[in-house]
Amino acid sequence: MIEVRGFMKAYAGRTLFAGFDSTFERGKSTVITGKSGSGKSTLLRILNRLERQDEGTLRIGDLEIPANLPHAEWRRRAHALRRRVGMVFQGYHLFPHLDVLQNVTLAPVRAFGVDPRIAEQRGLELLSAVGMDGARDRRPARLSGGESQRVAIARALATEPEALLLDEPTSALDPRSTEDVVRVIEGLRAKGLTLVIVTHHQELARRLGDRVVEVGAVGDSGSLHRL
Amino acid sequence: MRQLSALLLGATLVTAQSAPGVDANRLPSRYVERATVRWASDAEGGAPFVFADPADPSREVGFEVDLAAAMADDLGVRFERVQTPWENLVQALDRGDCDVAINGLEPTPERRRIARFTRPYYVFMQQLVVREDSAIRALDDCSGLRVGCLGQSVSHTELLRRGGVEPVVYTESARSFLEVENGRNAAVLCDLPIAVAQLKLFPRLRAAGEPFGRDYYAIAVRLDERDLQLALDASVARLWHNGSLERIYRKWSMHNEAQGEIGALSQSGGEHGQVGDAPITDKESRTGSELGLLLAAAAKTIGISCGAFAIAVALGLALALARQFGPRPVRWLVICYVEAFRGTPVLVQLLFLYYGLGQWEALQMPAWLAGVIGLGLNYAAYESEVYRGAISAIPRGQTEAASALGLSGAETLRFVVLPQALRLSLPASTNDFVALFKDSAVVMVISVVELGKQYQMLASATGRFVPLGLLTCALYLAMSVPLAWLARRLERSLDGDKA
Ligand SMILES: Nc1ncnc2c1ncn2[C@@H]1O[C@H](COP(=O)(O)OP(=O)(O)O)[C@@H](O)[C@H]1O
Ligand SMILES: [Mg+2]
Repeated sequence: MIEVRGFMKAYAGRTLFAGFDSTFERGKSTVITGKSGSGKSTLLRILNRLERQDEGTLRIGDLEIPANLPHAEWRRRAHALRRRVGMVFQGYHLFPHLDVLQNVTLAPVRAFGVDPRIAEQRGLELLSAVGMDGARDRRPARLSGGESQRVAIARALATEPEALLLDEPTSALDPRSTEDVVRVIEGLRAKGLTLVIVTHHQELARRLGDRVVEVGAVGDSGSLHRL
Repeated sequence: MRQLSALLLGATLVTAQSAPGVDANRLPSRYVERATVRWASDAEGGAPFVFADPADPSREVGFEVDLAAAMADDLGVRFERVQTPWENLVQALDRGDCDVAINGLEPTPERRRIARFTRPYYVFMQQLVVREDSAIRALDDCSGLRVGCLGQSVSHTELLRRGGVEPVVYTESARSFLEVENGRNAAVLCDLPIAVAQLKLFPRLRAAGEPFGRDYYAIAVRLDERDLQLALDASVARLWHNGSLERIYRKWSMHNEAQGEIGALSQSGGEHGQVGDAPITDKESRTGSELGLLLAAAAKTIGISCGAFAIAVALGLALALARQFGPRPVRWLVICYVEAFRGTPVLVQLLFLYYGLGQWEALQMPAWLAGVIGLGLNYAAYESEVYRGAISAIPRGQTEAASALGLSGAETLRFVVLPQALRLSLPASTNDFVALFKDSAVVMVISVVELGKQYQMLASATGRFVPLGLLTCALYLAMSVPLAWLARRLERSLDGDKA
């Protein structure tokens, strides 16, 4: 369970959201929609600690991260949080110098000290779960958008997170690839992974979300409100 | 060619004897009309020939400056000095950059192929110089030791002929003495006048044993200017007989019994034709040894370049990381380092490193090592900028993806940023490595004989600038072309799939 209380984030004179509360239940899938520039990506980045909220508290299980933590402590807790929350970026951000399997095993082996052979075996399982086990030796440059996105999902799952954050996972994909990726996400949902999915695809929102949250349009109250 | 010279020489003798004092004694009219004779010498060679007056460095002094002045007086024209590197004096003459070369030149067979020589104006011997506290008494005690000498000098030839010692070649007398004083070399072999002049500046050195050998300095003129040679011959003779030469030599503490020979030679008229003549080495057998020398020098170039580049890569990377991620004072230090090494000539850095720091015993190192370190430090400045550029070119998304996966800053750097940055910097880095192979020739200033220097020495000694030059270029290309090829292969293998 991820809990957000009283979130506020401001950029140079612009408040993205203020007093935002939300609870992302364990095993449930939340879809976040909203206009471009409304702060959807920023919210995910805060949830994964790539940004800090200016006000409010983030809680995941027993781990609490308020705003205004001293830097060292913030980093320690952010690191702990990242073990439990995985992130799939809008632009995939695969590592171009590594092949597909290495992309998946890098974090477990290098950051979490998993035995390379075990990590590889687990990586291959993940790749086959997203239908990419045939591409283990390919470089990201030779993958299509849909394939890249599925590898990115496998990579995020390799650290065995409790929750997965997906930023517009299908926005750059053609219908067929979209379908492949959506099937993968449905599989994750069926397995009971907590999901937070940003998308403005209405049909997708209905298909993938237990609930939908819309981020307010730019220029209005600026608050993220629940539907 | 040689036969032709001999013929011409014979003709000279006949003319000189049959028509004394008519045309032969007079300067050719083209020089009289110009009222100027351009004489080439190298002020870098040092005392006592031509050198900057220590009391007033804007003034050039030396016994050859006095000699030129005396001849100018005698011939009624101006003598205008043209600065020319000593190794290239006869070539400069041949090309027409000057009219005569007066700079302690011995009429060696190699030089005689390119230039014509007047009768000798000075008789010199070889002198070994060692440290005051040295046990060495003669060249025979030097076997296996480093002995300095001027390149392409009689001393150099003598050291090579004797074998057993390790000749270390310099372009400047002062440096060859300095290296004995600081203990890098066991001794220096040089012309007696040089020993006399330099020993005044190096009180901790002394002459070892008696001077030996007998060679001659003579004035070089172009092969086809026999008339000029005759006029200068006559002038030298007059200066000898009226005592001007002796006065000059006494002034420079160079006068000795041996100089009597000049008079004898002058009087006997043209006996100088045989002076300094040595059997000319067979050209064919020499080509093999030239290739051997160039190959050995090329190996040195490769060693120095590879060593220096290894330093440049390691230090450059450390500098780039310090500049990118270090605290502010460290970043400033790195900037200073980079600007200092990029903004000053590598030549100056090498001289400073080798001779400057070499004054302290603890900082002394062999010349090749100084070359490796000096070039390495210099290229590190360039490499660090290459790597810094590559590191900042890695998209933010890459580091964010790595941190989102739980990699620490250091892990992100090591496993995500650096591998990509090094791949990105490979073309520029290869380019620098290739450039380094060529630039490494600069270490010749600290007496390392690498490929470039070996070429210069061989070519100057033989006059075969073109064939040896082509051979040398081929050797450089044989280093750089495979390197570029390897780099491209590495790039491809880094880019490619394993499958
Ligand atoms: N680092 C930043 N500095 C300044 N403004 C930012 C920064 N990141 C995002 N923003 C602003 O915040 C707004 C929301 O961005 P984002 O969360 O990417 O929107 P969305 O994903 O909903 O399209 C944008 O208008 C953007 O200009
Ligand atoms: Mg966005």
